[in-house]
Amino acid sequence: MVVGGGAAGLRAAIAAKQAGAKVALLSKVHPLRTNTGLAQGGINAPLGADDSPEAYAGDILSAGDGLCDPSVVQTFTLQAADAVMWLERMGVPFNRGGDGRFDRRKFGSNSRARSLYVDDRTGHVVMQVLYEQFQRERIPLFADWYVTALAIDSARCVGVTALGLRTGALDSFGARAVVLATGGFTRLYLPSTVSLGTTGDGQNLAYQAGLPLMDLEMVQFHPLAYAGGNSLMISEAVLAEGGQVVTAGGQPIPNFAGSTRDKMCMAIQQAAGEGAPVSLDLTLIGSKNLKARLPQTAELLRTVAGLDPAKDLIPIRPVAHRPVGGIEATTTGQTPMHGLYACGECACTGLNGAGRLAGNVLTEAVVFGARAGEAAAAYAKSAPAASFPAGRLEEEKKRLEALVSSEKSDDTAGRIHAELGALMDRSAGAIREAAGLQAARGQIHALKERYARLRVRNESAIYNYELVAYLELGAMLNLAEALVVAAAARKESRGGHRRSDHPVRDDRTGISHTMITMVQGAPQADTRPVVAL
Amino acid sequence: MQATFSIYRKQPGQGSKPGRSTYTVELADDATVMDALLKIRDEQDPTLGFRGSCLHGYCGDCTVRVNGKSAFTCTAKVAPLAGKEIGVEPIRNMPVVKDLISDWDAFLWDKIDMTKPWLEPNGSAADGELQIDDKVMARVRQAMSCHYCGLCDEGCTVLPVDFKFVGPAALTKASRFLFDPRDQATTERLHILERPKGIWDCVHCFEASEHCPREIAPTERIMEMRDEAFKHGISNDQVARHHHSFAASVKRSGWLDEGRLALESEGLTNVKGLMKLLPTAAKAIARGKAPIPYLHHKRPGADKIARIIDKAEAKEK
Repeated sequence: MVVGGGAAGLRAAIAAKQAGAKVALLSKVHPLRTNTGLAQGGINAPLGADDSPEAYAGDILSAGDGLCDPSVVQTFTLQAADAVMWLERMGVPFNRGGDGRFDRRKFGSNSRARSLYVDDRTGHVVMQVLYEQFQRERIPLFADWYVTALAIDSARCVGVTALGLRTGALDSFGARAVVLATGGFTRLYLPSTVSLGTTGDGQNLAYQAGLPLMDLEMVQFHPLAYAGGNSLMISEAVLAEGGQVVTAGGQPIPNFAGSTRDKMCMAIQQAAGEGAPVSLDLTLIGSKNLKARLPQTAELLRTVAGLDPAKDLIPIRPVAHRPVGGIEATTTGQTPMHGLYACGECACTGLNGAGRLAGNVLTEAVVFGARAGEAAAAYAKSAPAASFPAGRLEEEKKRLEALVSSEKSDDTAGRIHAELGALMDRSAGAIREAAGLQAARGQIHALKERYARLRVRNESAIYNYELVAYLELGAMLNLAEALVVAAAARKESRGGHRRSDHPVRDDRTGISHTMITMVQGAPQADTRPVVAL
Repeated sequence: MQATFSIYRKQPGQGSKPGRSTYTVELADDATVMDALLKIRDEQDPTLGFRGSCLHGYCGDCTVRVNGKSAFTCTAKVAPLAGKEIGVEPIRNMPVVKDLISDWDAFLWDKIDMTKPWLEPNGSAADGELQIDDKVMARVRQAMSCHYCGLCDEGCTVLPVDFKFVGPAALTKASRFLFDPRDQATTERLHILERPKGIWDCVHCFEASEHCPREIAPTERIMEMRDEAFKHGISNDQVARHHHSFAASVKRSGWLDEGRLALESEGLTNVKGLMKLLPTAAKAIARGKAPIPYLHHKRPGADKIARIIDKAEAKEK
């Protein structure tokens, strides 16, 4: 059973099916509506004549700022080229150069031009091709199904309970292996670049089952988000195409393109902190190239921001983008629980360390998605048969029924979410410090108390999105609390984690992963050493 | 800013009568319709149903009509509309499950399923990097820039008459494989596409192309697939026979032999089809309007027309 219909989930399902398993996929939104579409600029693979898995690994280790597990990086970089070539043969129409070979962008802090791309819609197209091949495998799809809990029997995951939004029925799905591929959680920040449903549901399921969440404090902020309304993310590809980040005086920020995302964010915050708003200047690209090479960016800036990138400067600010941390998992997706696998953005393998290299998120989804699917299929074949725990479905039904009440209340899930999002942006944003984190923990605790009193008013079972939003908020509150504890525990600055009270990297204490486990309902921090080669 | 919305409501299930609900909300100046819907559901009416995912205009999930014009709730700004009551309804041609929650399964996903919507690769990753002209890939990319928003299907003039028509969105998806040099199922695809309710049911009114927000031009994509069907000699369908007969008549006589066109479109061996023509033919004869097939004279300048067609055909070859 694969949970989540984005790139990692689809790739896992295809791999599991091809490995001979009987597979089904559950997703709360249709696969073609998932947050995978957010990825725009490219997908990394060391395919150039000047490139190699070793050079690629060097760049990943450098972006990871000393926190990557080198063995994981090695496994990944050795398989990246094949995984991306597979996508190409399954139908991704990557842009080509004049010789008909792949055109490659030099993206972020990559030392080589190694990001293959599809205009500025790489994720959108990769997602379509994965869904096409998923259909080719004739894998049953349960779209508009929301997983409410894992079914656990004798310390083994044996399935899930899920709510069918269309029918309104809660159902049990027994499975010999479950793969979580539910995506990120950065909707717990507001503003944020991600989709409405990027709420950390899978991480929360694992966390509540007692599994450790790893490196949660490492959150990537995207440097190029439109500073207005809904924080439209503008792909870093615009920098590779000739765009520049400029200060109020129109001066480009020096050494901007080619650095890591956390350094870009710092540079923007520093410039903006001096009272000068920072803008993105795409006018140098020219309207012809904007239309030909960045069609979606140009379209969305017009429709969302009302700006013409060929003429107007675009005000920008760093906005919460993607988590680096998640459910602790090996390179085959194995979590510490038998029968439970995790891949894609909800998992944390140690590949990215303290910061993800630009262009890596899609490669990660397909490399580790396939490996998790294969491993889950192998486990399902060898593991003894398991039956769905008796009474588990009834228990879950009762839990959900108890959430519904017609009693009047002034509080709402939307208000709690808005307060949480602003709090996280302020206190656990791109720059943190001890007092703010401690205060945030107290405030999250207060929000959790309000949440515990809150009830769902909609009694209708069919498409009860109020209930879904309520459950998603529960996940976000748990993860926010865990994140704040992780950020407080790391008393140094590294990668995506910047502390104003501990501004330097401290290799005496810092080269270990932060592990957060739920103990008697509260997050407890621990560390795990980085695994050397 | 304060804004008032009048929103289409419908309870799930057959036979429930649609209605409307009105809500007034306080919003930020740069709020979108999505912001308003989320706020209404959160604060006023938790039963209000609507879809949404990406929040930034790239996923196509939240397509509705705002004040009668199709829009994405996540990018449509409220401010320019806020003076008067703002109407929000589902898009046309699309079955509704509840309120603004349309049935994407019936409307699009199931239709896409009918067109063999996956590549049948003619090689494997082990073959190494393929050299392909970027113009060929650009054509595929154009079709794949579709974000399944459904607006071409909303504009389609066939779907309201015949919901079983596969429709421009699913056919655009099909075109993405037909013109991909890495695919090996061309013939099978064309046989699927030429079935009833497929490419030949399009009436080329070009509304789909007018409605597409991404300039993908679904109608042109359908026309290209028809051409492709002809090129592969897959033209035994009634409409294909119609096209053949039409072109042959113009080439022969410079104008249209309407009677012969009717017979040849049905197929001269298709007794059942020919029988169906009889009542219409009888009525036409009674009114003195029946064109007698095959008794059809050349119009002046027909030879010139034939030469033009010859030239065009030679050029195409």
